[in-house]
Amino acid sequence: MGADLKVIGNADQDAQVECQIRDLTVTFTTDSGEFPALNHVNLDIIKSKITAIVGESGSGKSTLGLAILNGVAFPGKVTEGSVDFAEHGNVLKLRGKALRHFRGPVVGTVFQASQNAMNPLARVGKQILDLGRSHHYKDPRKLLHEAENLARRMAMDPSRVLTAYPHQLSGGMRQRMGIIMALVLKPKVLLLDEPTTALDLLTQSAVLEIIRSIHRERHLTTILITHDMGVVAEISDYIVVMYAGRVVEQGSTHETLRDPRHPYTRAILRAIPRLTGDLNRARPLEGSPPDLTQIPATGCVFRSRCSYRVPQCDLVAPILESVDTGHFVACHQEGLIRD
Amino acid sequence: MSKFFKRIGKRIVAGLVMILAVSSFTFFLVHFMPGNPVQTKLNTLIEEGIPPLQAQAQVRSMYGFIPHQPLYIQYFHYVWQVLHLNLGKSISYSGVPVMHLLLKAMPWTVIMVLTGLAVSFIIGITAGVIASVKRNSKLGDGLLLLSTFLHGIPQFIMALGLAYVFTTIFKIFPFGAPYNAAISPGFTIPFIGSLARHAVLPIAAYAISGFGAWALTMRASVTSVLGDDYILAAELRGVTPSIRLRYIARNAMLPLFTILTLSVGFMFGGSIFIETIFDYPGLGYTINTALAARDYPLMDGAFLMITAAVIIATIVADLLYTVLDPRIQRI
Ligand SMILES: Nc1ncnc2c1ncn2[C@@H]1O[C@H](COP(=O)(O)OP(=O)(O)OP(=O)(O)O)[C@@H](O)[C@H]1O
Ligand SMILES: [Mg+2]
Repeated sequence: MGADLKVIGNADQDAQVECQIRDLTVTFTTDSGEFPALNHVNLDIIKSKITAIVGESGSGKSTLGLAILNGVAFPGKVTEGSVDFAEHGNVLKLRGKALRHFRGPVVGTVFQASQNAMNPLARVGKQILDLGRSHHYKDPRKLLHEAENLARRMAMDPSRVLTAYPHQLSGGMRQRMGIIMALVLKPKVLLLDEPTTALDLLTQSAVLEIIRSIHRERHLTTILITHDMGVVAEISDYIVVMYAGRVVEQGSTHETLRDPRHPYTRAILRAIPRLTGDLNRARPLEGSPPDLTQIPATGCVFRSRCSYRVPQCDLVAPILESVDTGHFVACHQEGLIRD
Repeated sequence: MSKFFKRIGKRIVAGLVMILAVSSFTFFLVHFMPGNPVQTKLNTLIEEGIPPLQAQAQVRSMYGFIPHQPLYIQYFHYVWQVLHLNLGKSISYSGVPVMHLLLKAMPWTVIMVLTGLAVSFIIGITAGVIASVKRNSKLGDGLLLLSTFLHGIPQFIMALGLAYVFTTIFKIFPFGAPYNAAISPGFTIPFIGSLARHAVLPIAAYAISGFGAWALTMRASVTSVLGDDYILAAELRGVTPSIRLRYIARNAMLPLFTILTLSVGFMFGGSIFIETIFDYPGLGYTINTALAARDYPLMDGAFLMITAAVIIATIVADLLYTVLDPRIQRI
């Protein structure tokens, strides 16, 4: 344990790892069979940076977020691997009170369904106080004061939103309250699972801007799960691309967007007109997202949708390998993939 | 706040309409019953040598009916009397106003039913929460089985069973009568103690027969709330188990108010058996004796009272619901 997690390789010499994920495998057991939603995921979350996790629906982003909180619940189960935090050790080993005080004060979370993340029968302010009580906050007024400040920053009237019941707020307001509830305990890690899906574009960019400035002020380590490559390009430092429960590409945002090496990354980037600026070149990704219960045991998971496919892809699953300092790709053909 | 009162006002009006409907129903039921009791009584009186006019007056004061008048006039007369809380006079307790008898019987039933309801509610929701939270364990399965089993037992069998086990096999509790006749009634410790000892079994009969419904409903409700996003969110924010349990319980309890009314009706219905078996002079007992004696005015009155009680319970349940769920507009 201790604060000396090894950095696998990073262009940034000062980079420190906040959270080190090794061989993380999460298996779901359902009526349609047993399948891994995460398959040997290896990942370093760099301290004080914003790491974006992207990938199609069902690729395992939320499951990864839950696993980071040791919150994978039935019918899912962590079957292998570890999630080490610099000062807390392997959180998958935390139980009871230790786990409870890890969630909240250490990692503040906004959930994917954050519009429904508040108890409908209690006023918002009361729920913030419940949060304080759960984590032994001595001065509840200070906590409310903090919440009021955050509300004001998010362009909401604090006296109104804190005395309201959740149903009296709009979907976007509830989502911003979710962000406030994640920040109010002053965690050092912020885990955001599609935190702005209910917001209009203007509010979304305003809220992201606030998240970024708080991230900087408090030296937070931020993990941002999103579908939106525009958001990724705008605010993240690192990017992790997931496909069918595997990390297929990972690197600094700048480098990865400039020179994507995995065919899947290239495909999702091509699918977005607003990055390339050329509507004619925008092409949706062909084929459908993989059905995790039907994934063949051998070979590359992406091959059925890949235009660079070679016989080797059917036989051997590519492993995540360094192609550049801090840039990793899981593809047999990455060397050939150049514009 | 005005919407809140409007809501209550609407409920009360609806309740009055309901009472009117029930009293109309009983009027026609009695009127069309084979061997029309009103006519029979009139004939009996005349046969006994009472002059027809006097007999008519007597029947009228008993049933609130005026034989030989057109049906609709009889009906309006009856409803008018009911609206004035005049339920006629009892036949078996000759000449005593029905209202008087009912007011004397009412407290026994209301106190027993409410206590039984409270006990079954508390035990039921506790069992329901445990059965849901531990639903993948032996304890959860056991509670589910027990609730389903108890829910299926008719109240009179429950009452008889309790009486047999605890007064005959194990002579733990006294049987019959609401208190020991040797102790003179009053606000004294021995008398209240005797009341309480006699009340244990009938209250247990109400509570155990009502418990299953609460437990099963609460179990289903808690199970659905446990899957709600805000409960998971609270857990992932590190909220303490006790606060989370409070969130779960309050949310899961809301659907229960819809069965509160059913439960009250069920328990008042059960009073017919339970009070008869345990010899309690309440409404149920009164209905039973009225049935045996063909005392129709008394029977009608008692049914009307039970209807009124159920309607009041509905209004109270609605009020509680409104207070507990902020999503129901109050302003
Ligand atoms: N409770 C569950 N029961 C069964 N399968 C589940 C459950 N939760 C997730 N899964 C499965 O795990 C896989 C990954 O799901 P996950 O929610 O992590 O995807 P995601 O990348 O967050 O998708 P989205 O972008 O739609 O949020 C999916 O195939 C999903 O069906
Ligand atoms: Mg998700």
